[in-house]
Amino acid sequence: MEDMDSILRFPWHVPFGELFLKLDPLNALFLAAVAVLVACSSVYGIGYMRQYKGRKPLYVHVFFYVLLAASFVTVLLANNAILFLCAWETMSISTYFLIVFNDERSAARKAGFLYFIVAHSGTFCLFLMFLLMAQVSGTMNFDVISNTKFSSGLSGIIFILALMGFGVKAGFLPGHFWLPHAHPEAPSHVSALLSGIAIKTGIYGICRVLYILGVLPVWCGYLVLFIGVIAGLMGVLYALGQHELKKLLAYHSIENIGIITIGLGLGLIGKSCNQPYVSVLGFSGALFHVINHALFKGLLFLDAGAVIQRTKTGEIDRLGGVAKIMPLVSVLFLVGALSICGIPLFNGFMSEFLIYLGLFNGLFCLSLNGVVSCVIAILALALMGALALACFTKVYGSVFLGIPRETFPPQERPSSKLMLAPMMILAGICIWIGIAPWTVAHFTFCGGEYLSRIPSSTDHFSYVMGSLPAVIMVLIIFIAVASFLAFMKYRVSRGTLVTGRATWNCGYPVDSPKFQYTSSSFASSIVEYFKSVLFFKRHGERIDGYFPRHMTMHSGVKDFFEDSVFRPMFAKAVHLSRAVDKKNILFTQMYLMYIFIFLIFLMLWKLRG
Amino acid sequence: MEITWVDIICVLAVFLSLAIISTRRIVGMIQIFSLQSLLIGLLPLLINSGMPSAREILVAAGTILVKAALVPAVLFWAIRHVSMRSEIKPLIGFGTSVIIGAILIAGAFRMSLSLKIPWVAQYDLLVPCSLATMILGFMLLVTRTRAITQVVGYLVMENGIFLFALLLFDVMPLLVEMGILLDIFVAVFIMAIIVNHINEEFEHAPATFNREKMGESI
Amino acid sequence: MAMDDRTIIAILFHWAIAILLAPLFVGIISKTKAILAAKVGPSLFQPYYDIVKLFQKGVVYSRTTTWIFRVAPVIVLAVMLVLALMIPFGIVKAPIRFAGDIFLIAYLLGMARFFIIAAALDTGYSMEGMGASREAFFSCLAELALFMNFVTLAFKTKSLSLSSMIGADAPVRWEVFGPSLFLVVISLFIVILAENCRIPVDDPDTHLELTMVHEVMILDHSGPDLAYMLYASAMKLFLFMNILVPIITPIYSHDAVVGVIVFLAMLVGIAVTIGIVESSMARLRLNRVGNLLLIAFVLAFFGFVVALWKTI
Repeated sequence: MEDMDSILRFPWHVPFGELFLKLDPLNALFLAAVAVLVACSSVYGIGYMRQYKGRKPLYVHVFFYVLLAASFVTVLLANNAILFLCAWETMSISTYFLIVFNDERSAARKAGFLYFIVAHSGTFCLFLMFLLMAQVSGTMNFDVISNTKFSSGLSGIIFILALMGFGVKAGFLPGHFWLPHAHPEAPSHVSALLSGIAIKTGIYGICRVLYILGVLPVWCGYLVLFIGVIAGLMGVLYALGQHELKKLLAYHSIENIGIITIGLGLGLIGKSCNQPYVSVLGFSGALFHVINHALFKGLLFLDAGAVIQRTKTGEIDRLGGVAKIMPLVSVLFLVGALSICGIPLFNGFMSEFLIYLGLFNGLFCLSLNGVVSCVIAILALALMGALALACFTKVYGSVFLGIPRETFPPQERPSSKLMLAPMMILAGICIWIGIAPWTVAHFTFCGGEYLSRIPSSTDHFSYVMGSLPAVIMVLIIFIAVASFLAFMKYRVSRGTLVTGRATWNCGYPVDSPKFQYTSSSFASSIVEYFKSVLFFKRHGERIDGYFPRHMTMHSGVKDFFEDSVFRPMFAKAVHLSRAVDKKNILFTQMYLMYIFIFLIFLMLWKLRG
Repeated sequence: MEITWVDIICVLAVFLSLAIISTRRIVGMIQIFSLQSLLIGLLPLLINSGMPSAREILVAAGTILVKAALVPAVLFWAIRHVSMRSEIKPLIGFGTSVIIGAILIAGAFRMSLSLKIPWVAQYDLLVPCSLATMILGFMLLVTRTRAITQVVGYLVMENGIFLFALLLFDVMPLLVEMGILLDIFVAVFIMAIIVNHINEEFEHAPATFNREKMGESI
Repeated sequence: MAMDDRTIIAILFHWAIAILLAPLFVGIISKTKAILAAKVGPSLFQPYYDIVKLFQKGVVYSRTTTWIFRVAPVIVLAVMLVLALMIPFGIVKAPIRFAGDIFLIAYLLGMARFFIIAAALDTGYSMEGMGASREAFFSCLAELALFMNFVTLAFKTKSLSLSSMIGADAPVRWEVFGPSLFLVVISLFIVILAENCRIPVDDPDTHLELTMVHEVMILDHSGPDLAYMLYASAMKLFLFMNILVPIITPIYSHDAVVGVIVFLAMLVGIAVTIGIVESSMARLRLNRVGNLLLIAFVLAFFGFVVALWKTI
């Protein structure tokens, strides 16, 4: 796939700016994901927002939604740093307004505000980074910057700034704490967009900086891999401790960003060690997972929205047996859950397969440090896969299966086809990619080779493509065997089937939800095993005596970075600013003082240099 | 690369140190230590090919006698009155200590990469495994609260040092070897006597004295 | 790969061996445990009789369950049958092998696990939920240990296909791989015990919720469903034992008869060893099982470190 030409190029009156949009193999992948997901969630949104008709100004929401979609496209296609930053800021602002749609809830307002602060801190780093790049190369045009050579130290600094700025948006671990607040508070179709696309723009930014910088020192690859491992493991561990449906899905987004970052780190390490095969596999796996995650996370959030709309609650421990009142939604959620766990037949397996292949090949041909990093990444991926399976069986079992824990409110309106159709389309695409991956894999390999800066050729990935038909054959045999077994079972048990009894229950034929395992009990063995990492705390009284009185208990997982690092930091900043405020300095005087201090600083800098 | 018996015994030594770290029962720890000393005591016979010389047989016999038979006997005698035979409340949990043990083993191997020791083919795994055993013994010493476990940790560390000293086997005089063995035996003997005295003191303690709580640290 | 007659016959032959032999080893383990307890014990072919008996019984579904409960046994057994094609038997390579098949094997096992756990939660009762929770927890650590073993074997044999990694096509040389292989064998043995729910991880004989992981998850299945589940667990044990066999086989000969005898002898030997281990230990307390699996992981990790050291 040859480099595509620029789509749009107009001069712009903003200094150094230019309306320059360019499509290349890297953009095209992200754009495909954007197109599918924006279309699906828009259709879903029409059906979802009907409940607010007349109660809230919907046109404001639609305006910012369209603005968000447009800014996504511009961020992905921008080839000029000023245009990129403008689009980035537009994205942040429109996201804020979309998050605070339910602004009568204080949680939503706080979540939006937190997102706003964190997004702008990230953008600050991006400004610094682009200024540094422009200073060395003299222009804001990405093409020209790609061709300039940066010194090793400078490219290291630029990359660190990129990781900080884009990483906060993507959800890397120290800067992830806004995600579990913002994504649940937004309306469900917006959450799907946020988890599916917005955090991927962070990944896209890192990929673009990677491409621009070209050659990076080796430690960058190790750093990215390490960040991915931490983000993935902590994301899924925190997710296991959640009992609110959308917050759990938001933490899972962090885990999948970790998987993508592991792929990126592997690609970087391969590139620095001159192992093109490993590098292409790493980058392609990461890009494939970007698409897959957008699809199945979008599907899961849309499903969660449908469930919450019908049952009026998102607390997992108040749900249960939803499959009986929403059968189609439960099947679609199962498709999403199987995809996210990486089960074969669905798309999640294919991208993880590529990343594993890359990591194991890295074992064979990298240096000692590379081998150690690959081993750590393989172990982390294996653990993440198993923990994700535990988490999603917990969610699926507690929400959709079993006995309802509270009675459901009566259904106000029949379920909207506008909400079901996009979910079915997304589920269909997930299954299609799982069974016929080479259609998408081809594009991801082009993107991977583009990032590794090796000329596009087909024989690089013919080796991998050689394994894929065997995988598909196994899956086809599996489907055939399963059908045969189902048929045999049906024939054998046709006359003797008995349904409609209660579960045996050791002899108590009572359908009571009190016997049922709750989701927190299900996850408790794992959460308590990792207690020291997760700060799992149980508040409340312990049962003693034979006839305990009425008691309450509450257990939860504390997000370490949020509670112990950032909230105290923010509190100190607020405290400091209040203290400065109290000093009775007048408004204009304070700002004159700032200007004065900055002038002194400039003078000192100029005198030195 | 050929695998020799020396390699296998070194790996077994580290494996048994890991087993000591992961077990809770004191009796089990002492038994595993005895097995480890037996295996390590066989090493002087296998280091140089051909028939073992008199010096090698002497060192091997002395090590096995002292570390695999006498010292465990003294330890069993010391705990004969102690009723609680398992480790309670270590500083770090058992799962965590196993993982940290793994990281320490990796660290020992990494460290021995940088050590500039003249490389001899049949001693290939000797250096890293000895370092690993030393570090694991040290970890046992530092992170456990019961005195007996700490002594076992010290003894495991001593096994690691012995492994390392095998590199210098040909030049180290017999006297030094025997002196080290004597030191170990004396140390353990003194500890056993102290434990015995403390136990006897508790036998005659008034009933209000909290025996269980005091006895925990023995 | 070309689908000619030899390959189709190879697939069918491989399947036939797996289908016919799998329940026998469950019988061997039970018989070993009985002999060690000075009892006569059930017949060696008791699992076959059980499966046939269950096919003749009716099936009862609770009104709490959904289609997942009905579909789960089918999927679990289908997964095990497909896996039978991907795992080598002795020196006979698996009919379906390609670079990266270990990931497909691990994730197909994950699919089976997902559906068993979902079916258990579907019944809406605490016993099955308990078993499901424990299974989810143990599988995290068992997966970690299994992948660490795969990493060590792949690193040593420089191959990504299970048949080549465990030496089905080129015998794994103990002289070359040495001590790390010994550690891998112990680690894999512990993983076999954990994944197939044997003592010290789970007690397959009692039916109390305090002691069960696997047995309690399938408590509510009946008739052909239960037959499928029992058969699938027997097949899983057989397949896991087959992963261990080529690594520890001491004799290699190209004579077919000797090869078959050695292969069967090794399988029976492993089954008897499992029986001996089960008879000599009690089941571990549940919070100690995590530590056991961690030890399996650390052993494999140490094996990898030794293997890495040898190449430097």
